[in-house]
Amino acid sequence: MKATEVIGANGVAIPQGTRGSAGFRTYEVHQRERVGQSTEKIKPIQLVSPEFARNPYPFLDILRENYPCFRDWLSNCYWVTRYNDVTSIFTDDANFETRPKRWMLGLDNGGSNLGGEVPVLTAIANGIDGNAARLAEQAVSGFAGRGRADLAIEFAARFALELLLNLLDLPERDADRFAGHYLAMKRGVTWEPRLRQRGLEAAGELERYFEPLLERRRADPGADLVSAIATLDREDGRASARDLVVTLLELDFDTLHGTLANLWLRLLEESGRLQSVRDEPRFLKLAVLETFRHSTPVLQAMRFARHEVERFGRLIPEGGLVVCSAAAGNRDPRIFRNPDEFIVNRKDLCHREARGQYRTDGLATGITVGLGPPSKHPAIPEDRPRSAFAIARDTAVTASAVLLDALDDLQLEPGAEPYPVCRRIGEMHACWRLPVRFRKA
Amino acid sequence: MSGGCPFALDIFAEPAATDDPGAQFNFPLMPEGEAVDMGHAPDGTPLFDPRILNSAEFMRNPYPYYRLLRDHYPVFHDRLCNTYYVTRYEDITNCYFDDEGFNTIPKGSSSGVLGNTQLELSGVEHRRRRNLYGQHLVGRSLRNRIPAIQRQARGMIEAWERIDDPRVVSKSNGVGTVELGRAFANEFPIRVVCEVLGFPKEAQDDFYYWYNSMMSGLGGSQTHQQGLEARQHLEDYVEGIVEARRKEPTWLYDEAGNPISKDIITKLCETRVDGDFLSTEEITSNIALVVGGGGETTRGAILNMWYLLLQHAEQFEAVCNDDALWDTAFHETLRHSSSIGGQPRHNTYDVVMHGVKVPAGSLMQMVDFSANHDERIFKDPETFNIFRDDLYSGKILRSGYNRDGRHNHMAFGVGPHLCPGAWISHQEAVEGSRILLKHLKNPRINVGRMPKDIDGESLRPIGLMSVRELHLDYDLG
Repeated sequence: MKATEVIGANGVAIPQGTRGSAGFRTYEVHQRERVGQSTEKIKPIQLVSPEFARNPYPFLDILRENYPCFRDWLSNCYWVTRYNDVTSIFTDDANFETRPKRWMLGLDNGGSNLGGEVPVLTAIANGIDGNAARLAEQAVSGFAGRGRADLAIEFAARFALELLLNLLDLPERDADRFAGHYLAMKRGVTWEPRLRQRGLEAAGELERYFEPLLERRRADPGADLVSAIATLDREDGRASARDLVVTLLELDFDTLHGTLANLWLRLLEESGRLQSVRDEPRFLKLAVLETFRHSTPVLQAMRFARHEVERFGRLIPEGGLVVCSAAAGNRDPRIFRNPDEFIVNRKDLCHREARGQYRTDGLATGITVGLGPPSKHPAIPEDRPRSAFAIARDTAVTASAVLLDALDDLQLEPGAEPYPVCRRIGEMHACWRLPVRFRKA
Repeated sequence: MSGGCPFALDIFAEPAATDDPGAQFNFPLMPEGEAVDMGHAPDGTPLFDPRILNSAEFMRNPYPYYRLLRDHYPVFHDRLCNTYYVTRYEDITNCYFDDEGFNTIPKGSSSGVLGNTQLELSGVEHRRRRNLYGQHLVGRSLRNRIPAIQRQARGMIEAWERIDDPRVVSKSNGVGTVELGRAFANEFPIRVVCEVLGFPKEAQDDFYYWYNSMMSGLGGSQTHQQGLEARQHLEDYVEGIVEARRKEPTWLYDEAGNPISKDIITKLCETRVDGDFLSTEEITSNIALVVGGGGETTRGAILNMWYLLLQHAEQFEAVCNDDALWDTAFHETLRHSSSIGGQPRHNTYDVVMHGVKVPAGSLMQMVDFSANHDERIFKDPETFNIFRDDLYSGKILRSGYNRDGRHNHMAFGVGPHLCPGAWISHQEAVEGSRILLKHLKNPRINVGRMPKDIDGESLRPIGLMSVRELHLDYDLG
C-alpha cells in the first residue's frame, strides 16, 4: 500500500523521491531566529485556560506589551496582538489565508460557500433590513409585560436567531428543529470531538431538511435567502442543499448576537451611558461602534501563512498559524487613548465605515473579525448591497432603539452578576446572562 | 403583536467552560491499558478528545490511546494544538525516509531550547553536517572510548562507599539499598558525554542542572523559560571552551595515558564545511543537542531496562546467565518504553494520508511511542519480552531493518535523521549494566519505596516518562 499521495499546488500528483530544492531551508535562515525571546510573563496554557475564557484582556495585555508576535509552542501558533499588526495581516491576502469553517469542522461534503454571490448578499441585506425592527419589537413584547428579563438570552440571542429564521423564511413549525441543528452545526467548529460530531450530524440533518425546500423555492421563489440560492445562475449548475448548508455555516451571526449582548452590558453597567444614548439617539450608533471595539464578540481570527514570511521580527513558516487577536488590537494604547474604558462618544474612534486599512478620516475603527476586513472600494459599489459591517451595525442600532423606546427605568437586576464569557475556548466572548428590571413605557 | 418565540430559548442554555474550571484538562485515571470513554460516532467509531494528550492520565497510561489513534485515526488532526499526529509504524517509516516531503522545521522540535541543531536541518544541509558529529560516536572512535565508559561506571559504583545519604545508598542487616537514579544513572551518561566532549570535571554539576532544565523546558511546557535560560548559560559557558580549544587542542587519553584522539569539541573547531570553519553558535547548538540527547535518553534507558527486567524474573535470570542478552534487553526496553516520544515534521506539499487532507506546512508529529507499539508490526506489543521474534536487535542501521519478520524499533528513528548517539548510548547502557550486575548481588526492586499505581499496590507503569527513581535492594558481601 502506498501510504501517502502528494498533491502539488496545481492539483497534479508529484512523484515521490524526486530531488529538488523544495522544502529545504538554508542554515542562514535559521540563524536569523535567535533563542533570545523570553516568555517568563505568560505560560501558553493560560491562553486556553478558563480564566482566559472569562476575561481574556489581562492575558492579551501581557502579550501585546511584551511579545508582539508570541510563539505559542503548546497550541503551535503565533499570537499577533497590536492593532497595526493585526489589521495588516487581515488585509494581507497575498501572504495569509483564512481557512473556511468547514475545514475546521471537517465537513468534506463538496459544498461551496455562496456567501459572496451578489443575489445572495442582496437577499441577506434586504431580509435583515426589512425585518429587523419588526422582529425586535416582537422579541421585546415577549417580556415587556413582565417587568424583568434576561436581555442576553431573551433579547440578543433570540433576536439574532429569529432574524436568521426570517431570512430563510422557514415555517414556524420547523423553527425549533432548524434552530437546534443550526446552533449545533456552528458549535461543531471546534476541537471538541463530541461537539464536532454533533455538528457534522446536524449539517447532514440540515442538508436533508433543505433538499425538498430548495426544490419548492426553485419552482416558486420568494425574496428569502433559500430562494436566492435556489435560483442562483451558476456556471457549474444549480446550487444544492449542500451549498446552502455550507453558506449558512460560513455566515456570521455571532457578531450581531454578541454585539447586542455586550452593548447592553456596557450600557447598563453605568447609568450615565444609558442616559446619554437616551438623550442623544445618534449616540446609539456610536455606542455600537464602541462595542465593536471595546467588547468585540469574536475575539480572534486564524490566518495561515501561504508561504514563509518574516513579520514582527519573526520568521513565520509556510502553513504557520497566526492568531490575530482583534480583542487585543482593539485595546491597543498606541491607537486608542484609555483603551479599557468604554466611551460612547469616543473621539479617537472612526465614526464612519472604514475603507481599506481599517481607517477613515485618519481614525482607527474597532476590529470586528466576524465581519471580514473593510471593503477596499472607496465607496459602496452601486450594484452591491452594503457591507456586512454596515448591516450588523445598523441592525444592532435598530434593535436597540426598539428596546430603548419600549422600556423605562431599565437597570441591572440588583445583586445580579452579568456573565461575559467564552463558553468554550475558541467561541465568542459575549455576555450570556444579563438580568434586568424595568417599567413598560 | 405576539411575543411568542418560534423556538425554545433553552437551546442557549449551555454551561460555560468556566463554570467548572477543573474539568478543563482533567480526565479520570484508568486502569493500565484501558482508555477513558471520549464518546462515539453513530457508526460506533470512538471519538478522540485532543485534551487527553495534555492530561496526567495520558502520561502514565498512553498506549490504549495510541491504539485508538492507530486503529481509527492513523492521521489525527488535533484542532486544539494545530497538529497532525501520525501513529502507524509503516507511515512513520515512510515519512522519515522522505525528508523532502516531510522536512524538519526551525526550532520545531526544541522550541528554541536546544537552538539551531541538526534536528532542524533537512536535505543537503543536513547530510553535509551529519557526519561531523556522528563520526565521533561510532566505529573505531567509539571502540576506543569503551574503556573510558567502563572506567566511569566503575568509578561511580566504587564511590557508593563514600556516599553519606540514606536516600541514595544505605545498608542494614546484610541488605544494601540503592536508588539507582541518583547513585548511577542520572549522572553516568552526562559524565560520559562530558568526557567525550572534553569538558572539565568541575563543570559537570552545572551540566547536570543545565540538561535537566533544558529537557523539562522543551515544547510548550510550563518551564520553557527555565529551559531557555539554561540554554543561554550553557551557551555562554561553551563559548569560552570553544574559544580556548580553537587556540589549544585537547586530547582524550586511555588508561595507560596514551592519547586516543582529540576530544569532540576540538575536532569540531578544526572542521570545515564549504571551506569555512564552523561558527561557535553552530558548535554550541549541537553540543546542546548532544548534552540533551545523550543524557536524558540514556538515563531513561538504563532505569527503564532495570525496572522492566526486575519485574520479569525469568528474563532477568536469562540475562544474568547470558551476557549477550543485554543487547536484546536494551532494544526491547527501547521498544517497550523509550524516552523519546517522536519527531516533528513539516509536510512540504499538500498531502492526503488515510483520507485526511494535510495542508502544506502543517506540523506533523511522528509518534515513535505508537510505532513501537503497533500491533501490525509487533505481536502483543504491550508485553515486555526480550525473547520476542519480531524485533531486530542487531547493529542500528540508517536504512532500518525489515527482514525475516523482524523490524527495528523506532526509538532511534530511521532514515537521514537516525540518532547519531544510538551506538554510544547502547554501549553506555549495556556496559554500565554489566558492571552494575557484578556489584549488585541478587538485586530486586524495593517495592515499598517505589511510586504506586492508582490501586495503591502495584508498581506504577512507565508511561511516557522514564522511571524517575529506582530503589533496589541487594545482598551485601
